[in-house]
This record gives sequence, structure tokens and C-alpha cells, in this order.
Amino acid sequence: MSMVFAPQLAEAAPTSHAGASWSPYDNNGGTCVAIAGGDYCVIAADTRMSTGFSILTRDHSKIHQITEKCVLASSGFQADIRALQKNLDARHQIYQHQHSKQMSCPAMAQLLSNTLYYKRFFPYYAFNVLGGLDTEGKGCVYTYDAVGSYERSGYSSQGSGQTLIMPVLDNQLKSASPLVLPPRESSTPLTESEAVDLIKDTFASAAERDIYTGDGVEIVIINKNGIRRETMPLKRD
Amino acid sequence: MFLTRSEYDRGVNTFSPEGRLFQVEYALEASKLGSTAIGLLTREGVVLAVEKQITTSLLEPKSIEKIVMIDDCIGCAMSGLTADARTLMEHGRVETQNHRFSYNEAMSVESTTQALCNLALKFGEGDNESMSRPFGASLLIAGHDDNGPALFHTDPSGSYWETNAKAIGSGSEGADTALTDHYNRNMSLAEAETLALSILKQVMEEDLTSLNVDIASVAPEFHLYSAEEVEAVIARL
Repeated sequence: MSMVFAPQLAEAAPTSHAGASWSPYDNNGGTCVAIAGGDYCVIAADTRMSTGFSILTRDHSKIHQITEKCVLASSGFQADIRALQKNLDARHQIYQHQHSKQMSCPAMAQLLSNTLYYKRFFPYYAFNVLGGLDTEGKGCVYTYDAVGSYERSGYSSQGSGQTLIMPVLDNQLKSASPLVLPPRESSTPLTESEAVDLIKDTFASAAERDIYTGDGVEIVIINKNGIRRETMPLKRD
Repeated sequence: MFLTRSEYDRGVNTFSPEGRLFQVEYALEASKLGSTAIGLLTREGVVLAVEKQITTSLLEPKSIEKIVMIDDCIGCAMSGLTADARTLMEHGRVETQNHRFSYNEAMSVESTTQALCNLALKFGEGDNESMSRPFGASLLIAGHDDNGPALFHTDPSGSYWETNAKAIGSGSEGADTALTDHYNRNMSLAEAETLALSILKQVMEEDLTSLNVDIASVAPEFHLYSAEEVEAVIARL
């Protein structure tokens, strides 16, 4: 008999065998998207927090700034996400004391991977996209699974609307096969405002079909001038 | 010199009424008994040079290792009880590798120095990991990080200083004076090599040959010179 660690979706009806059905996890839904450019990074997430068919709040930020040049967007189980954010904040504080500098985004990416993998057998139920600027000032996006496998990419999406958004991003941004054209850098060729517009479009579309995505989208833009936030309302149904 | 210190030089963690820790002061003396080591900082990189005392012609000169690599871009020259220094080196190697594991980046030179000093201070605590007495070794830590080349000097008390040029070991007083007179911040790496060897030659009792000195540079990667490269520097003297 295999052990199943898959979190129970909240809408699954409680089973009749009392006691055995309790799960330490919930799925609060939500979608995160990030796009990296040559000198900027855009990270966005919707602001709905749900459980099952209920909306818990329409205004909950899934985006967490860890350093001046690095933000984390996470969907999944909000309690685990909060714990993960606090953990990374504490680790960053210690890093600053020990090394007298802020952690770079690539360093934070490795730390997040390790942090997730250390809970390999009782994972944080969190699906993360880490975005920011690397040590050269280039935009970077790191995308994760729940147990810490990660890669740097030019764009990524995680969460309940991932399956709706990722094909659109692939269609708009994926470089041709490296066998056909020389491989492009991991950042996308879009300008900052094009990237923001593309993200707004993908969220408007995802909110149409995914019941866990909606209410509003929060967009964080990081570039050499600093960090900026924008919001856009989404459908509330 | 210390003949009248009777009671308070027994325990390693007991201050004398004058506020001194005699075992630490004795360890400082031990570190001054070792063979001379010199470090010089230039804008191109850092040079380390040490004297190797070949006590008998039967000794294999290669077996005397007083300059070692800690990380790709960090090297260390030692003076005093080399066995103690090797314990510190091993700790430094573990710390820099741990940093790479956690953050996927090289550890800075100052952080590495701090890590070594943390261990140097961890004596007399009674647990299995810690040393029963202070480490009788001084170190010159040369490295290259995001801030460029850097040179640090540590002593058995666990203190460290960042310096432009420094000598440790038995000939350190004379060598330090010579460095004060002849060192300048704008010298080239090659000039620093020759200055290091010419000062070493002055303070050494034996004649200087390619067998009884070691030279290493960190510019930006650690490199221990071969016998031929040492000969080339000697030829320039």
C-alpha cells in the first residue's frame, strides 16, 4: 500500500470513516506570474484567498518582499506560505548581520530551494516564484516545486491558474528551439510596460475560468530605480 | 618574562586581577616562534610568501605546507603551531563549502576570516568539539571577492585586522618595518612578489632558494607557485 501525501482539496467531501480524513493542509488557491527582462523583473499575483467554494478574503497579498531586489510570490496553503516567508526573512536578517550585505537574488533562490527540501517529507504546501535582479542587474525569475526543485527562467507561472497562463506565456515568449536559433538569454525581449500589459491580460483571462483566481491583481516591478507596485481589479465572481 | 605569573596562567578561561588571559598571551608568543610569513595587497591581487625551515637535508621540502587554499579565491599563510593552523584551515574549508551549498555563491574574505576567528575563540569550553587551549597560530588570509582583493591578519586571541601588508612569525618585527618603508598601494603584483621575497631574504637565516620558500597569489584565483615560478621571482631579486 502506497503512502499518499497529496493534500486533500478542500472541496473533497469528508469521508465517512471518521478520524482518518483530517489533513494538515488546505489549498487557498491563487496564481503567481513573473517575467524577467534585461534590466527589470515583473512579479504579479492575484489577491483572492479561497477555501473550497468560499472566498475568505478578496484582498490578501501573495507577494512578499524579502530583500531590496528580491520578492517572492507564493500560492498554495497560506499558513505554510506565511511560515516560509518568516523563515526566509529571519535567514536574510542573519545573513545581513554575518556578511554585511543584502542577499543576492540567486543566493536567495538557492536558500529557498534548500529550505523547501529540508521539509522533503512534510513539505511546505507552497508553490513559489522568486523574482528580482541578479548581481549584474539583469532580471531573474526562479520557479519551484513544493520540495525545492528549481530553475532559472525568463518567465514562469505557479498556482491554480498556472495551466491557463503558462501556455499563453509560452506562445508569446518562448524562444525558438536552440537547434533552430542560437539560445537566447534567460530574460525575455519584452520592454517593461509590454511585460506588465501581458501579465494583466493573462490574469484577466485566468480570472474568467479559474474560480480560485480573481478580485484583483497586484503587480510588483523591480528595476534599477527600485521597486514599484501596481494593482488592477479583476472579476469578483 | 612571565616568571612571576603563578596562579592565573593555569586556567584558559580565568582573567588575572590585572585583566589578562595569560594562556592567550602565551599562545601569541607561540605564534611568534614560527617561521616568517608575509602578505601584500595590490590592486591586481594578493601575494603570500613564507619561509620553510628545512632542518635537515633529508627532509622532503614539499611536505612543509604553510600556504594552503581555503576556497577557489581564498588562500592562507600560517605561522606558529602548524598543526593548530591546519585545524583552523579545515574549519575554513568546511565553512566556505557550507556557504556555497546554502547560497550558491562564494563566501566573502571577511566572512571567512570571521568564521576562522570564531573557532579560534572557541577554546576551553569543555565539549568534545572545542580545543582545550588557544590555537598557537597566526594567519594571513588573502582573498578576492565582490569588493576586490583583500588581506586579513588573525591572531590566537580571535581578533582580526584588515591590512595592506603584514608579516607574522619570528622575523615579523623586522619584516613589518621593511614593509612600512617599501610597500605602496599602487605596486604591481610582480613588484609585490619581489618585495615579499627580498624582505624574506633579509629576515631568513638560511640562504633563500626555491626549496625553502613558498609563494602564492590570489589574483583572483588562488595559485601556489611551482619551483620554476619561484626561481623566476628569485632571479628578479
